[in-house]
Amino acid sequence: MSLFHERWRTRVSLLAAGALDAPHREPTLAHLDTCEACRREHAETVALLEVLAKDPARHAEPDVPLAFLVGRVQAQLDTALASRGWRFGWVAAGLAVGLGVALVVPRLATRVVTPLRTVTVDEDALRRLERNVAREQAVRYLNEAQDVLVTMAAAPRDCDREKDRVDVADEQQRSRELLTRRTLLVELDDEDVASARGVLEDVEHVLREVASLQSCVRAGDVARVQREMEERRLLMKIRLMSRELQG
Amino acid sequence: MDPWSNRGSVEPSDDELVRRLAAGDREALAPLMERHYRRLYRVVLAYVRNVDDAQDVLQETFVKAYRHAARWDGSAEVGRWLTRIAVNQSIDRYRREKRRVATTEPLAEGDHDDRVADTDPSPERRVASAQAGARIAAALGALPERQRAVFVLRHYEEMSLKEIGRTLGLRLGTVKSSLHRAIQGLRQRLDGLRA
Repeated sequence: MSLFHERWRTRVSLLAAGALDAPHREPTLAHLDTCEACRREHAETVALLEVLAKDPARHAEPDVPLAFLVGRVQAQLDTALASRGWRFGWVAAGLAVGLGVALVVPRLATRVVTPLRTVTVDEDALRRLERNVAREQAVRYLNEAQDVLVTMAAAPRDCDREKDRVDVADEQQRSRELLTRRTLLVELDDEDVASARGVLEDVEHVLREVASLQSCVRAGDVARVQREMEERRLLMKIRLMSRELQG
Repeated sequence: MDPWSNRGSVEPSDDELVRRLAAGDREALAPLMERHYRRLYRVVLAYVRNVDDAQDVLQETFVKAYRHAARWDGSAEVGRWLTRIAVNQSIDRYRREKRRVATTEPLAEGDHDDRVADTDPSPERRVASAQAGARIAAALGALPERQRAVFVLRHYEEMSLKEIGRTLGLRLGTVKSSLHRAIQGLRQRLDGLRA
Protein backbone atom coordinates (compact mmCIF):
# COMPACT_ATOMS: atom_id res chain seq x y z
CA MET A 1 0.00 0.00 0.00
CA SER A 2 1.39 3.39 -0.96
CA LEU A 3 2.16 6.20 1.43
CA PHE A 4 -0.48 8.20 -0.45
CA HIS A 5 -3.10 5.59 0.29
CA GLU A 6 -2.03 5.37 3.95
CA ARG A 7 -3.01 9.01 4.23
CA TRP A 8 -6.49 8.10 2.97
CA ARG A 9 -6.68 5.32 5.56
CA THR A 10 -5.92 7.81 8.31
CA ARG A 11 -8.67 10.08 7.04
CA VAL A 12 -11.08 7.16 6.81
CA SER A 13 -10.37 6.27 10.45
CA LEU A 14 -10.88 9.86 11.53
CA LEU A 15 -14.08 10.10 9.49
CA ALA A 16 -15.47 7.00 11.18
CA ALA A 17 -14.48 8.41 14.56
CA GLY A 18 -16.22 11.71 13.77
CA ALA A 19 -12.93 13.52 14.07
CA LEU A 20 -12.14 14.48 10.50
CA ASP A 21 -11.91 18.20 9.96
CA ALA A 22 -14.38 19.81 7.53
CA PRO A 23 -12.03 20.53 4.59
CA HIS A 24 -11.15 16.82 4.31
CA ARG A 25 -14.63 15.38 4.68
CA GLU A 26 -15.91 15.76 1.13
CA PRO A 27 -12.73 14.52 -0.55
CA THR A 28 -12.67 11.52 1.78
CA LEU A 29 -16.31 10.66 1.10
CA ALA A 30 -15.59 10.93 -2.61
CA HIS A 31 -12.62 8.61 -2.19
CA LEU A 32 -14.81 6.05 -0.44
CA ASP A 33 -16.99 5.92 -3.56
CA THR A 34 -14.02 4.83 -5.60
CA CYS A 35 -12.18 2.57 -3.14
CA GLU A 36 -13.85 -0.64 -2.07
CA ALA A 37 -11.17 -1.54 0.49
CA CYS A 38 -11.58 1.89 2.08
CA ARG A 39 -15.36 1.50 2.18
CA ARG A 40 -14.99 -1.83 3.94
CA GLU A 41 -12.49 -0.38 6.38
CA HIS A 42 -14.79 2.53 7.09
CA ALA A 43 -17.75 0.22 7.73
CA GLU A 44 -15.69 -2.02 10.03
CA THR A 45 -14.40 0.96 11.98
CA VAL A 46 -17.87 2.39 12.42
CA ALA A 47 -19.05 -1.03 13.67
CA LEU A 48 -16.11 -1.26 16.06
CA LEU A 49 -16.77 2.18 17.52
CA GLU A 50 -20.43 1.25 17.99
CA VAL A 51 -19.29 -1.72 20.06
CA LEU A 52 -16.91 0.44 22.05
CA ALA A 53 -19.65 2.99 22.64
CA LYS A 54 -21.36 0.35 24.76
CA ASP A 55 -18.35 -0.10 27.00
CA PRO A 56 -19.77 0.30 30.54
CA ALA A 57 -16.70 2.33 31.52
CA ARG A 58 -18.07 5.22 29.44
CA HIS A 59 -20.94 5.70 31.84
CA ALA A 60 -19.42 4.39 35.06
CA GLU A 61 -19.91 6.25 38.33
CA PRO A 62 -17.45 6.18 41.23
CA ASP A 63 -18.70 3.73 43.84
CA VAL A 64 -17.56 5.86 46.76
CA PRO A 65 -19.34 9.08 47.73
CA LEU A 66 -17.57 12.35 47.14
CA ALA A 67 -17.20 13.00 50.87
CA PHE A 68 -15.13 9.83 51.29
CA LEU A 69 -12.93 10.70 48.39
CA VAL A 70 -12.37 14.18 49.80
CA GLY A 71 -11.51 12.57 53.14
CA ARG A 72 -9.00 10.25 51.50
CA VAL A 73 -7.30 13.10 49.67
CA GLN A 74 -7.12 15.16 52.86
CA ALA A 75 -5.74 12.18 54.79
CA GLN A 76 -3.06 11.58 52.16
CA LEU A 77 -2.05 15.23 52.30
CA ASP A 78 -1.87 14.98 56.10
CA THR A 79 0.35 11.92 55.87
CA ALA A 80 2.68 13.68 53.46
CA LEU A 81 2.88 16.68 55.76
CA ALA A 82 3.59 14.48 58.75
CA SER A 83 6.41 12.72 56.95
CA ARG A 84 7.96 16.09 56.19
CA GLY A 85 8.14 16.88 59.85
CA TRP A 86 4.75 18.36 60.46
CA ARG A 87 4.37 18.05 64.20
CA PHE A 88 1.00 19.35 65.13
CA GLY A 89 0.00 15.87 66.09
CA TRP A 90 -2.42 13.26 65.00
CA VAL A 91 -5.33 14.47 67.06
CA ALA A 92 -5.15 17.97 65.61
CA ALA A 93 -4.82 16.58 62.08
CA GLY A 94 -7.73 14.22 62.57
CA LEU A 95 -9.85 17.02 63.94
CA ALA A 96 -8.86 19.25 61.04
CA VAL A 97 -9.81 16.59 58.50
CA GLY A 98 -13.04 15.82 60.28
CA LEU A 99 -13.87 19.47 60.67
CA GLY A 100 -12.94 20.17 57.07
CA VAL A 101 -15.20 17.43 55.77
CA ALA A 102 -17.97 18.41 58.18
CA LEU A 103 -17.78 22.02 57.04
CA VAL A 104 -17.40 21.33 53.39
CA VAL A 105 -19.99 18.62 52.82
CA PRO A 106 -23.00 20.61 54.07
CA ARG A 107 -21.82 23.58 52.03
CA LEU A 108 -21.59 21.42 48.97
CA ALA A 109 -25.12 20.25 49.48
CA THR A 110 -26.33 23.82 49.19
CA ARG A 111 -23.90 24.91 46.52
CA VAL A 112 -24.39 22.41 43.77
CA VAL A 113 -26.77 23.44 41.03
CA THR A 114 -27.78 19.88 40.27
CA PRO A 115 -28.25 17.68 43.31
CA LEU A 116 -25.57 15.10 43.96
CA ARG A 117 -26.69 11.70 42.81
CA THR A 118 -27.61 9.46 45.69
CA VAL A 119 -24.84 6.93 46.12
CA THR A 120 -25.30 3.83 48.14
CA VAL A 121 -22.39 3.42 50.49
CA ASP A 122 -20.58 0.36 49.32
CA GLU A 123 -19.36 -1.77 52.21
CA ASP A 124 -16.30 -2.82 50.29
CA ALA A 125 -15.47 0.81 49.65
CA LEU A 126 -15.85 1.63 53.32
CA ARG A 127 -13.65 -1.32 54.18
CA ARG A 128 -11.00 -0.07 51.76
CA LEU A 129 -11.24 3.37 53.28
CA GLU A 130 -10.73 1.98 56.78
CA ARG A 131 -7.78 -0.08 55.59
CA ASN A 132 -6.20 2.96 53.95
CA VAL A 133 -6.67 5.09 57.04
CA ALA A 134 -5.19 2.36 59.27
CA ARG A 135 -2.21 2.05 56.98
CA GLU A 136 -1.68 5.78 56.69
CA GLN A 137 -1.70 6.14 60.45
CA ALA A 138 0.79 3.29 60.80
CA VAL A 139 3.03 5.02 58.26
CA ARG A 140 2.74 8.28 60.17
CA TYR A 141 3.71 6.54 63.40
CA LEU A 142 6.66 4.81 61.75
CA ASN A 143 7.84 8.05 60.19
CA GLU A 144 7.79 9.87 63.50
CA ALA A 145 9.54 6.98 65.23
CA GLN A 146 12.13 6.96 62.48
CA ASP A 147 12.89 10.64 63.11
CA VAL A 148 13.57 9.88 66.78
CA LEU A 149 15.65 6.79 66.09
CA VAL A 150 17.72 8.44 63.37
CA THR A 151 18.92 11.06 65.82
CA MET A 152 19.70 8.29 68.32
CA ALA A 153 21.69 6.43 65.66
CA ALA A 154 23.61 9.54 64.69
CA ALA A 155 25.66 10.29 67.80
CA PRO A 156 23.56 12.63 69.98
CA ARG A 157 25.00 15.84 71.45
CA ASP A 158 27.34 15.89 74.42
CA CYS A 159 25.87 16.99 77.73
CA ASP A 160 26.94 20.46 78.74
CA ARG A 161 27.13 19.67 82.39
CA GLU A 162 29.00 16.34 82.53
CA LYS A 163 31.89 14.80 80.67
CA ASP A 164 31.49 11.50 78.76
CA ARG A 165 27.77 11.88 78.82
CA VAL A 166 25.34 12.62 76.01
CA ASP A 167 22.17 14.63 75.88
CA VAL A 168 19.13 12.57 74.83
CA ALA A 169 16.49 14.71 76.53
CA ASP A 170 14.78 15.53 73.26
CA GLU A 171 14.73 11.91 72.03
CA GLN A 172 13.57 10.67 75.43
CA GLN A 173 10.70 13.17 75.48
CA ARG A 174 9.63 12.42 71.90
CA SER A 175 9.74 8.67 72.56
CA ARG A 176 7.48 9.06 75.56
CA GLU A 177 5.03 11.16 73.57
CA LEU A 178 5.03 8.67 70.72
CA LEU A 179 4.46 5.72 73.05
CA THR A 180 1.55 7.55 74.62
CA ARG A 181 0.05 8.31 71.23
CA ARG A 182 0.76 4.90 69.73
CA THR A 183 -2.53 3.38 70.79
CA LEU A 184 -4.33 6.29 69.14
CA LEU A 185 -2.42 5.83 65.92
CA VAL A 186 -2.03 2.09 65.53
CA GLU A 187 -3.82 -0.99 66.80
CA LEU A 188 -1.26 -3.77 66.81
CA ASP A 189 -4.05 -6.34 66.44
CA ASP A 190 -5.52 -4.57 63.43
CA GLU A 191 -5.43 -7.01 60.52
CA ASP A 192 -4.98 -4.11 58.10
CA VAL A 193 -1.48 -3.57 59.45
CA ALA A 194 -0.81 -7.22 60.27
CA SER A 195 2.23 -7.32 58.01
CA ALA A 196 3.75 -4.45 59.99
CA ARG A 197 3.20 -6.00 63.42
CA GLY A 198 6.77 -7.27 63.84
CA VAL A 199 8.29 -3.94 62.89
CA LEU A 200 5.83 -2.03 65.07
CA GLU A 201 6.72 -4.21 68.06
CA ASP A 202 10.44 -3.71 67.45
CA VAL A 203 9.92 0.02 67.19
CA GLU A 204 7.97 0.07 70.41
CA HIS A 205 10.62 -1.95 72.20
CA VAL A 206 13.41 0.44 71.23
CA LEU A 207 11.30 3.52 71.90
CA ARG A 208 10.72 2.19 75.42
CA GLU A 209 14.47 1.85 75.84
CA VAL A 210 14.97 5.45 74.77
CA ALA A 211 12.09 6.68 76.90
CA SER A 212 13.56 4.99 79.96
CA LEU A 213 16.91 6.78 79.61
CA GLN A 214 17.86 9.75 81.73
CA SER A 215 18.09 12.99 79.80
CA CYS A 216 21.86 13.03 80.26
CA VAL A 217 23.24 9.51 79.96
CA ARG A 218 26.55 7.72 79.64
CA ALA A 219 27.74 7.24 76.07
CA GLY A 220 27.67 3.48 76.71
CA ASP A 221 23.91 3.57 77.27
CA VAL A 222 23.36 5.25 73.93
CA ALA A 223 25.72 2.77 72.27
CA ARG A 224 23.63 -0.05 73.71
CA VAL A 225 20.46 1.34 72.10
CA GLN A 226 22.33 1.89 68.85
CA ARG A 227 23.51 -1.75 68.88
CA GLU A 228 19.98 -2.90 69.53
CA MET A 229 18.74 -0.90 66.54
CA GLU A 230 21.50 -2.30 64.35
CA GLU A 231 20.83 -5.88 65.39
CA ARG A 232 17.18 -5.47 64.59
CA ARG A 233 18.02 -3.55 61.36
CA LEU A 234 15.31 -1.27 62.55
CA LEU A 235 15.76 1.80 60.35
CA MET A 236 15.86 -0.31 57.21
CA LYS A 237 12.78 -2.25 58.31
CA ILE A 238 10.91 0.99 59.01
CA ARG A 239 11.77 2.32 55.57
CA LEU A 240 10.70 -0.86 53.79
CA MET A 241 7.55 -1.26 55.83
CA SER A 242 6.51 2.35 55.25
CA ARG A 243 6.88 1.80 51.53
CA GLU A 244 4.91 -1.41 51.68
CA LEU A 245 2.09 0.19 53.63
CA GLN A 246 1.96 3.08 51.20
CA GLY A 247 1.64 0.59 48.36
CA MET B 1 -19.58 27.85 26.47
CA ASP B 2 -16.74 25.57 27.31
CA PRO B 3 -18.30 22.65 29.22
CA TRP B 4 -15.23 22.44 31.44
CA SER B 5 -15.38 25.95 32.65
CA ASN B 6 -17.76 27.72 34.95
CA ARG B 7 -16.31 31.13 34.19
CA GLY B 8 -19.11 33.65 34.48
CA SER B 9 -20.97 31.68 37.14
CA VAL B 10 -21.68 33.08 40.60
CA GLU B 11 -19.91 30.08 42.11
CA PRO B 12 -16.15 30.40 42.58
CA SER B 13 -14.60 29.66 39.22
CA ASP B 14 -12.28 26.72 38.71
CA ASP B 15 -9.48 29.22 38.25
CA GLU B 16 -10.24 30.80 41.59
CA LEU B 17 -10.39 27.43 43.33
CA VAL B 18 -6.99 26.45 41.95
CA ARG B 19 -5.55 29.77 43.07
CA ARG B 20 -6.92 29.05 46.54
CA LEU B 21 -5.29 25.61 46.47
CA ALA B 22 -2.03 27.24 45.51
CA ALA B 23 -2.37 29.42 48.59
CA GLY B 24 -2.80 26.32 50.74
CA ASP B 25 -6.58 26.53 51.16
CA ARG B 26 -7.63 22.87 51.28
CA GLU B 27 -11.31 23.74 51.49
CA ALA B 28 -11.13 24.58 47.82
CA LEU B 29 -10.50 20.89 47.08
CA ALA B 30 -14.03 19.68 47.74
CA PRO B 31 -15.88 21.99 45.33
CA LEU B 32 -13.24 21.42 42.68
CA MET B 33 -13.51 17.65 43.13
CA GLU B 34 -17.30 17.81 43.09
CA ARG B 35 -17.18 19.44 39.66
CA HIS B 36 -14.67 17.15 38.05
CA TYR B 37 -14.43 13.82 39.82
CA ARG B 38 -17.11 11.92 37.86
CA ARG B 39 -15.71 12.96 34.50
CA LEU B 40 -12.15 12.20 35.56
CA TYR B 41 -13.22 8.87 37.03
CA ARG B 42 -14.52 7.72 33.65
CA VAL B 43 -11.32 8.77 31.91
CA VAL B 44 -9.18 7.00 34.50
CA LEU B 45 -11.36 3.89 34.55
CA ALA B 46 -11.24 3.67 30.77
CA TYR B 47 -7.47 3.71 31.06
CA VAL B 48 -6.72 1.47 34.05
CA ARG B 49 -9.83 -0.75 33.75
CA ASN B 50 -10.03 -1.54 37.43
CA VAL B 51 -12.42 0.13 39.86
CA ASP B 52 -10.07 0.11 42.87
CA ASP B 53 -7.15 1.40 40.83
CA ALA B 54 -9.37 4.06 39.29
CA GLN B 55 -10.37 5.33 42.72
CA ASP B 56 -6.75 5.37 43.86
CA VAL B 57 -5.69 7.21 40.73
CA LEU B 58 -8.49 9.71 41.19
CA GLN B 59 -7.29 10.33 44.74
CA GLU B 60 -3.70 10.73 43.56
CA THR B 61 -4.85 13.11 40.84
CA PHE B 62 -6.36 15.54 43.31
CA VAL B 63 -3.45 15.19 45.73
CA LYS B 64 -1.14 16.09 42.88
CA ALA B 65 -3.40 18.93 41.79
CA TYR B 66 -3.18 20.38 45.29
CA ARG B 67 0.59 20.01 45.45
CA HIS B 68 1.15 21.44 41.99
CA ALA B 69 -1.53 24.11 42.07
CA ALA B 70 1.11 26.81 42.36
CA ARG B 71 2.54 25.69 39.02
CA TRP B 72 -0.75 26.14 37.19
CA ASP B 73 -0.25 29.31 35.19
CA GLY B 74 -3.84 29.92 34.10
CA SER B 75 -3.13 29.38 30.42
CA ALA B 76 -4.97 26.05 30.32
CA GLU B 77 -8.51 25.34 31.39
CA VAL B 78 -8.51 23.78 34.83
CA GLY B 79 -10.52 20.81 33.53
CA ARG B 80 -7.92 20.14 30.88
CA TRP B 81 -5.10 20.55 33.38
CA LEU B 82 -6.77 18.04 35.72
CA THR B 83 -7.34 15.64 32.83
CA ARG B 84 -3.69 15.78 31.97
CA ILE B 85 -2.74 14.98 35.55
CA ALA B 86 -5.27 12.13 35.62
CA VAL B 87 -3.95 10.63 32.39
CA ASN B 88 -0.35 10.85 33.61
CA GLN B 89 -1.31 9.27 36.91
CA SER B 90 -3.17 6.53 35.04
CA ILE B 91 -0.12 5.82 32.93
CA ASP B 92 2.06 5.66 36.06
CA ARG B 93 -0.38 3.33 37.78
CA TYR B 94 -0.63 1.12 34.72
CA ARG B 95 3.16 0.86 34.44
CA ARG B 96 3.48 0.03 38.13
CA GLU B 97 0.78 -2.60 37.85
CA LYS B 98 2.51 -4.17 34.87
CA ARG B 99 5.79 -4.31 36.78
CA ARG B 100 4.00 -5.74 39.80
CA VAL B 101 2.57 -8.67 37.90
CA ALA B 102 6.03 -9.11 36.34
CA THR B 103 4.84 -9.53 32.83
CA THR B 104 5.56 -7.80 29.57
CA GLU B 105 2.07 -8.53 28.38
CA PRO B 106 -0.79 -6.09 28.90
CA LEU B 107 -3.37 -6.93 31.52
CA ALA B 108 -4.84 -10.28 30.73
CA GLU B 109 -8.52 -10.59 30.05
CA GLY B 110 -8.97 -12.25 33.42
CA ASP B 111 -7.66 -9.10 35.09
CA HIS B 112 -10.64 -7.14 33.91
CA ASP B 113 -12.67 -5.82 36.80
CA ASP B 114 -16.15 -7.31 36.55
CA ARG B 115 -17.52 -4.25 38.29
CA VAL B 116 -16.81 -2.39 35.03
CA ALA B 117 -19.88 -4.01 33.60
CA ASP B 118 -23.35 -3.14 32.54
CA THR B 119 -25.83 -2.69 35.37
CA ASP B 120 -28.53 -4.32 33.28
CA PRO B 121 -30.33 -6.83 35.51
CA SER B 122 -30.41 -9.59 32.92
CA PRO B 123 -27.74 -12.19 33.82
CA GLU B 124 -27.08 -12.99 30.14
CA ARG B 125 -26.58 -9.33 29.33
CA ARG B 126 -24.31 -8.88 32.33
CA VAL B 127 -22.16 -11.85 31.37
CA ALA B 128 -21.98 -10.65 27.78
CA SER B 129 -21.17 -7.15 28.96
CA ALA B 130 -18.45 -8.38 31.31
CA GLN B 131 -16.93 -10.50 28.55
CA ALA B 132 -17.02 -7.62 26.11
CA GLY B 133 -15.54 -5.36 28.78
CA ALA B 134 -12.71 -7.83 29.33
CA ARG B 135 -11.93 -7.96 25.62
CA ILE B 136 -12.02 -4.19 25.36
CA ALA B 137 -9.74 -3.91 28.40
CA ALA B 138 -7.25 -6.34 26.89
CA ALA B 139 -7.35 -4.59 23.51
CA LEU B 140 -6.89 -1.14 25.04
CA GLY B 141 -4.15 -2.49 27.29
CA ALA B 142 -2.23 -3.75 24.29
CA LEU B 143 -2.05 -0.29 22.72
CA PRO B 144 1.06 1.84 23.23
CA GLU B 145 0.53 4.47 25.93
CA ARG B 146 0.18 7.48 23.67
CA GLN B 147 -2.28 5.78 21.36
CA ARG B 148 -4.32 4.60 24.31
CA ALA B 149 -4.38 8.03 25.93
CA VAL B 150 -5.45 9.68 22.67
CA PHE B 151 -8.13 7.08 22.06
CA VAL B 152 -9.48 7.28 25.61
CA LEU B 153 -9.75 11.07 25.48
CA ARG B 154 -11.45 10.96 22.08
CA HIS B 155 -13.80 8.06 22.65
CA TYR B 156 -14.58 8.29 26.37
CA GLU B 157 -14.19 12.02 26.90
CA GLU B 158 -15.29 13.06 23.39
CA MET B 159 -12.59 15.68 23.18
CA SER B 160 -11.78 17.30 19.87
CA LEU B 161 -8.41 16.45 18.41
CA LYS B 162 -7.17 19.96 19.15
CA GLU B 163 -8.21 19.63 22.79
CA ILE B 164 -6.46 16.27 23.01
CA GLY B 165 -3.34 17.86 21.59
CA ARG B 166 -3.45 20.67 24.13
CA THR B 167 -4.21 18.26 26.99
CA LEU B 168 -1.42 15.82 26.22
CA GLY B 169 1.03 18.33 24.79
CA LEU B 170 1.03 16.70 21.35
CA ARG B 171 1.00 18.19 17.88
CA LEU B 172 -2.25 17.85 15.94
CA GLY B 173 -0.63 15.60 13.34
CA THR B 174 0.61 13.29 16.10
CA VAL B 175 -2.86 13.14 17.61
CA LYS B 176 -4.37 12.20 14.25
CA SER B 177 -1.86 9.48 13.50
CA SER B 178 -2.09 8.13 17.08
CA LEU B 179 -5.88 7.94 16.88
CA HIS B 180 -5.72 6.20 13.51
CA ARG B 181 -3.19 3.66 14.78
CA ALA B 182 -5.20 3.09 17.94
CA ILE B 183 -8.29 2.37 15.86
CA GLN B 184 -6.34 -0.01 13.63
CA GLY B 185 -4.94 -1.81 16.68
CA LEU B 186 -8.38 -2.14 18.25
CA ARG B 187 -9.87 -3.39 14.98
CA GLN B 188 -7.30 -6.18 14.87
CA ARG B 189 -7.81 -7.17 18.49
CA LEU B 190 -11.55 -6.83 18.65
CA ASP B 191 -12.31 -8.55 15.40
CA GLY B 192 -15.57 -10.42 15.74
CA LEU B 193 -16.90 -8.41 18.67
CA ARG B 194 -20.38 -7.25 17.71
CA ALA B 195 -22.65 -4.56 19.07
